[in-house]
Formats: sequence, C-alpha cells, structure tokens
Amino acid sequence: MGEYFEAIIHSFYNNLIVGNAYLIVIKGLGITLLISALGLLFGTIFGGVLCFLRMAASKWLKAVAKLVIAVLRGSPVLLLLMILYYVVFANSRIDPVIIAVIAFALNSGAHISEVMRSALEAVDKKQIEAARMLGFSGPKAFVAIALPQAGKIARPVYQSAVINLVQWTSVVGYVTITDLTRTVNNIGARTGEPFFALFLGVLFYLGISYAVYALFSIGSKREGAI
Amino acid sequence: MITISGLSKHFGNLVVLKDINFQVRKGECVAIIGPSGTGKSVFLRSIAMLEVPESGSICIKGTDITQKSVDINKIREKMGMVYQGFHLFSHLNVLDNITLAPRKIRKQPKAEAEKKARELLALVGLSEKADCYPHQISGGQQQRIAIARCLAMEPEIMLFDEPTSALDPTMSREVLSIMRKLTRMGLTMIVVTHEMSFAREVADRVVYLDEGGIYEEGTPDEIFDHPRRDKTRTFIRRLNVFNYEIHSTTFDMVTMNAQIEVFCQKYQVKQQKIYHIQLVLEEMLVEILRRCYAVVSPDIAFTIECPSGDGEVSISIQYAGSSFDPFGETTPDEDNLGITLVRNMAKATSHYAEKDLNTLIIKL
Repeated sequence: MGEYFEAIIHSFYNNLIVGNAYLIVIKGLGITLLISALGLLFGTIFGGVLCFLRMAASKWLKAVAKLVIAVLRGSPVLLLLMILYYVVFANSRIDPVIIAVIAFALNSGAHISEVMRSALEAVDKKQIEAARMLGFSGPKAFVAIALPQAGKIARPVYQSAVINLVQWTSVVGYVTITDLTRTVNNIGARTGEPFFALFLGVLFYLGISYAVYALFSIGSKREGAI
Repeated sequence: MITISGLSKHFGNLVVLKDINFQVRKGECVAIIGPSGTGKSVFLRSIAMLEVPESGSICIKGTDITQKSVDINKIREKMGMVYQGFHLFSHLNVLDNITLAPRKIRKQPKAEAEKKARELLALVGLSEKADCYPHQISGGQQQRIAIARCLAMEPEIMLFDEPTSALDPTMSREVLSIMRKLTRMGLTMIVVTHEMSFAREVADRVVYLDEGGIYEEGTPDEIFDHPRRDKTRTFIRRLNVFNYEIHSTTFDMVTMNAQIEVFCQKYQVKQQKIYHIQLVLEEMLVEILRRCYAVVSPDIAFTIECPSGDGEVSISIQYAGSSFDPFGETTPDEDNLGITLVRNMAKATSHYAEKDLNTLIIKL
C-alpha cells in the first residue's frame, strides 16, 4: 500500500512541481475559463438576439434566424473554429483566443437561442394576458412575467449547455491555444506519464462542472419555489 | 359606463359576433348566458380589447377604446378580468401576485401596496395564505386571489369569464360569495357564467347570447321564468331536463340511476321522490323491453323534467315500435306487480302512439 502511495506522490511531484509546472497548469486553466466565460457571455447575448429574430413577426427574419441556428447547431464547433482560424481570419493577426471566443459564442449562441425559445414558449400565455389586463404594457409584462418564468424553465437545460461549452473548449489546442487540455497533454508527453497528467486534467474539468452546478443551485435556492 | 354599438367579430369565415349593441350602467351586474360556442367569451374579451373587433365601437366612460390613439393599458388598469383558469403568476407568492401591478404600474411604495393587499386578502378570506405560492392552494382559493389581484388596481369594471367552471361545487360557492360581496360594493360587473342560480339571484340583468348576437335580454325573472323567444326557452328549459337514451338490452342501469340522482338533487327533489322516479323508470323500462324489444334491439329515450322547487316531476318515455300502452290492458293484470306499483304511485299517466312512435308520460 505504501509503495503505491509513494508512487502517486512521486508522480504528483514529477508532473506538477518540477519546473513550476503547476503555474503552467494554472495558466492553461485560466485560458479554458476565459474562453468559456467569454464564449458564454457573448453566446448568451447572441442567443438572445437569435431567439428574438426567430420569434419575430417578420417571415424573412424568422427564416434567416432559423437557417443560422440550423447551420450552427448542425455542425461541429471544431470545424467552425478551424474555418474561422484557417480561412476567415487566416491573414489577420487576431489573437487565436479571440477567434475561439467567437467560435464558441456562435455555436453556444445557437444552442442557447433554442433553449430560450422553448422556455419562452412554455410560459403560460394567459398569465401574460392577465398582466396586460392589470395595465402592464407588452414589454413590461414580458419583463415582469415571461422572463423570470422562462428563466426558471430554462435553467436546467442552460446549465448543461454551459457545461457542454466548457468541455468543448478542450479542442482549442487545434488552433495553437494552450488551454487546460493542451497543457496536461504537454506535461504528460514531457514526463512520460500521460495517464497521470491526463487524469489530472479530467479532475480539473470535473471540478469546473461541479463549480457550475454549485453556482446554479445557489441561484435557484435564492429564487425560491417554482 | 359601457356602451357598445355595432360590434362585429369574425375568425376567418366564422362570424362570431355580429352587430351587437349593448349598454351597461355603472354599478350594474350583468350575467351573460348561452350555449357554448356562441361567442360569450369573445364578447367579454373584446370589451377589454383582448379580441380586436372588425367593426363597431366600445365606449368605456365615454372613450372609444377601439381607436388606435387610445392608450389601452391605461383603460385596462380600471378593468379587472377573472379567468376560468385563474392564471395567477406562478413564480410569485400570493402577496406578490396582488402587489405586483400596484407597485410596477401605479408606482405604489412596497409597504403601502402590501398593506392594501392584506386588506384584500382579508376581504377574500385568505389572510393566512399570503406567503403561499399559487400551486400550494386550492382552485377556489386561487380564484379568490385572482379576484383580489384585480381589486388591488381599484377597478371600476370587473369582467368574469366563467369564473367557476373549473371548480367543484364547494369551491364555486366560495368564489360566488366573494362575487356577491363585489356587487354590494357597487362594482360594475359582467359575468359570463353557467351558474344559473348566480345569474338568477345576483345579476340585475341577464343577457342570452345566441346566433352571434344578443338574442334576448331582460331581468332574471323575465329570462328564467318568462323567456319570450324560442331558443331562450329551449335553453332555459333544457337546464332542468334530463335526457337518456337506451339502445341495448344490457344498458348500464346503475350509472343511469346515479345520473338521475345527481340531476334530481340539483333541483332539490326530495330523496323519497328520487327513489320513486328511479323505481318507476326501472319498472317501465323492464316492461317495455320485455314487451316491445324481445327480438329487435331497443330504441328508447326518456326525459325527466324537474321544475325548480317541489313541484310535479314529469317523466316522458318514447319508444319505437307498434303501439303498446303498458297501462292499457282492459283487464288489469293484477299479477304484474311492477305496473300496479307504478299505477298507484303516479299522479297521472297518459299514452299515445303516432306512426311507429309511442310516447308515455307519467307525472309524479
């Protein structure tokens, strides 16, 4: 038993401490979190816009939004990332991290817009009408009634969209970004202990996922009952 | 208070309302009754411009609200609408449901809005439910909260769209008693309802809607006791008539008897009399089935007509086939106990046959 324990300590030292490797891991983690957070922020904004267009009265806007959503949702985010990096921004000097943020914003935005739409459609229309009858204008009723209720309905699906997004950022290594996945892969290659390093990576992603769950559950507790 | 003239509404080719002229005075309570699908709800909803009419004008306190230039939100602040399905704001507790509009629309301070809300909760008898969420309270309670929610905006007009249709009798009573209170408070009320007793006792005026318009209107006495026009008469009459058809010798007599009991109880028929009605029907049906439908499958329909109060109940049985009068035997068959029983119980019996249709009427 003691031997195994010693071996683990040794691997830990070898992989994370030697040459201040932990600093590199923290940096990689930072990149992953940065791309995820910005991707989510812009993705949510973009999703809101798409959702608005998708539910718009105009046939044309609706059709365009539908097409954009279908294309973005129907193609792998890695291909989108590579197209942006190797084709669209090939001759520009834009930081690849920004390109990654754009790619993930587009991809998650399409998913999030559908989450928003289905949540808004699930809100009891008569409650909105009841608000209108109390003197609320359309936009005011939307903010006071539809939005909070749709938020609640959307939360679980939105949460998994967030976790999906975080995990999919692990492909940014393809466009020269050194994120968490790329970092642990590099360390594994250097120390010759890929299992330990990659497993460590898994633990990190697991940690992020649980942090996301925790954030969402705090939010839901604060807002109370259904 | 409300003056509607030339109001028309159609959905596609379906004309729902045509050329309706209608007035409601301040403080009046008007009940709208009629068969389903005659546009009662559409009519009510158009008074609040929730349905936009194709033509006509709706004047609320002198303002024609069909005009584009009118701020409909301002008008609606002075109107309350109570729905069949309650539609409380499901993400807010009872107190917040009531205070939401006063705070957001009338910019009342929180404390003031809550004080008023608690008064209203006391009015509808639900003070202790202030912190509950809508799904935690019963339908009747939800509807009383929905009424309180409207009252918080101090409306002058209250519109009710079948407020008790989704409720069981006890809960309906709760809601109806609150509505009675409102009439005493001098609110102008328009109530689309199937609760005829409410329409009769509480409404100042009853409007019977049919054929896309106001078919007949009058005081509750006029409409319920002396309807002038055919369809009104049929509608009112059908309220206290029970129909049943039998097309099989193995029909479900238990269910039939249960339905008869429920129906009769609604009209305060004494339990003793209900037993008599059931007994008479059983005996007569058995006799008719035995004599007329031994080989062919039966085709019998009967109706029970109850006057409100303790009047004479009339049972009429119609059955196809050659003329057969169960009471018509020249030498009464004393062994046929059933027939003898009915003969002794009934105040009067009569039978006539026309072509291939027998009609038997028994008064109890």
